[in-house]
Amino acid sequence: MAAPLELSCWGGGWGLPSVHSESLVVMAYAKFSGAPLKVNVIDNTWRGSRGDVPILTTEDNIVSQPAKILNFLRKQKYNADYELSAKQGADTLAYIALIEEKLLPAVLHTFWVESDNYFTVTKPWFASRIPFPLSLILPGRMSKGALNRILLTRGEPPLYHLREVEAQIYRDAKECLNLLSNRLGTSQFFFGDTPSTLDAYVFGFLAPLYKVRFPKVQLQEHLKQLSNLCRFCDDILNSYFRLSLGECTVTYWNFTLWMCI
Amino acid sequence: MSKETVTRINSNYQQYRVSDGAAEPWPENATLYQQLKGEQILLSDNAASLAVQAFLQMCNLPIKVVCRANAEYMSPSGKVPFIHVGNQVVSELGPIVQFVKAKGHSLSDGLDEVQKAEMKAYMELVNNMLLTAELYLQWCDEATVGEITHARYGSPYPWPLNHILAYQKQWEVKRKMKAIGWGNKTLDQVLEDVDQCCQALSQRLGTQPYFFNKQPTELDALVFGHLYTILTTQLTNDELSEKVKNYSNLLAFCRRIEQHYFEDRGKGSSSIRSS
Repeated sequence: MAAPLELSCWGGGWGLPSVHSESLVVMAYAKFSGAPLKVNVIDNTWRGSRGDVPILTTEDNIVSQPAKILNFLRKQKYNADYELSAKQGADTLAYIALIEEKLLPAVLHTFWVESDNYFTVTKPWFASRIPFPLSLILPGRMSKGALNRILLTRGEPPLYHLREVEAQIYRDAKECLNLLSNRLGTSQFFFGDTPSTLDAYVFGFLAPLYKVRFPKVQLQEHLKQLSNLCRFCDDILNSYFRLSLGECTVTYWNFTLWMCI
Repeated sequence: MSKETVTRINSNYQQYRVSDGAAEPWPENATLYQQLKGEQILLSDNAASLAVQAFLQMCNLPIKVVCRANAEYMSPSGKVPFIHVGNQVVSELGPIVQFVKAKGHSLSDGLDEVQKAEMKAYMELVNNMLLTAELYLQWCDEATVGEITHARYGSPYPWPLNHILAYQKQWEVKRKMKAIGWGNKTLDQVLEDVDQCCQALSQRLGTQPYFFNKQPTELDALVFGHLYTILTTQLTNDELSEKVKNYSNLLAFCRRIEQHYFEDRGKGSSSIRSS
């Protein structure tokens, strides 16, 4: 427990500590459970790896994938679900499955497949944080990976055609957002007054969708109509991720640099 | 069939107008198509088919089960089972539930919004973990693939088609597993996921007869389909069914649905043993 926990993940922007959903889930969970994480943001030096981000490194372990990282933190006694009942724990698993099946494809599409969004926002942002010449290859690979995942899980054989799937995945995502909004209601968090794993997952997937400025915004528009989900994201950002002045300056500087590219 | 025709058929399927089916009542000759029960059908397809059968039984809608070797290819989405009702063909539990709802039968009308959200979430949990685990076991575990899956999947076809189709399907499933991050999982990790899923279902069910207390819903049908099939299908070893057997309320749940909706209706206990 005394060993330092280092998290390697993608950096932030637009007021978020990270624009990458999975990294954000882990960062949020760490804040909720009080785990002392040292966050190493990936930058465009050759230091650190980029595959399979987020990655948690301790003295003897390297853990990747959010679910495994959260399990590891729980075993280290950083448990945000301590006060949940058995049924609430079961509900957590179910809602996470719902998010991964219904919301994730549309989020991936908005970030990585929709060409306006990808070429004007996502690709420049990631490319600026990857050293040349990897910056020419890696974003494209991530985009293909996202498209692959969408088609393989939602495309119907014998034709894996994106156009037919697009309408369906956005419909499903909007329904999922409605369901989450219904479930949250007027509470501050999904289970009572303290945030738990489910809150980390919902925040991780919703916050980038909410904050990142895209040209093509249909899902974002839908999310903005669900005021309780927006309030949920803003509350967590203000309570757990309030930026220090130094970080504010750095973010602003990064942003202006990016604007100049 | 030309590519344009197939595109048209596919897009028609995607947008099948619910209002078309709503006008006619449920006919007596509705049929459900699946693969051959004894020699061909696999664990995951059997689970899906049983879930649909259970759902229709719960809605009190008569359905005749017909086994065809090429059911997978007849289906508009490539997945079994599919039902043929009047002049409509609908496949997979989700669309079938919507279709049946358009005809005025629904099991989940009595639920409030939060309960409906929970029901959908748990159905996704079953699809995300149980179904994926079944597919992994069938197609990515070498022992099962060699001893059971390959032989069963291609059994209605002559050599070399039986091998080609089986390898093609295996390649497709492995691609999908890799895309969703299950490609590097070991069998033990998959079984642990199954255990986690069963634990969640068991905790949610508690001591109630059905997931939403007194009345069964499509979630009960889906869970029954998968759990019953896992319990009654013989694989290379018993590890998968042992995971389910750890939870006595789930066993009681399966028995209750089997007794109430299958045996009592004169269907007799369905023997789904794969030889």
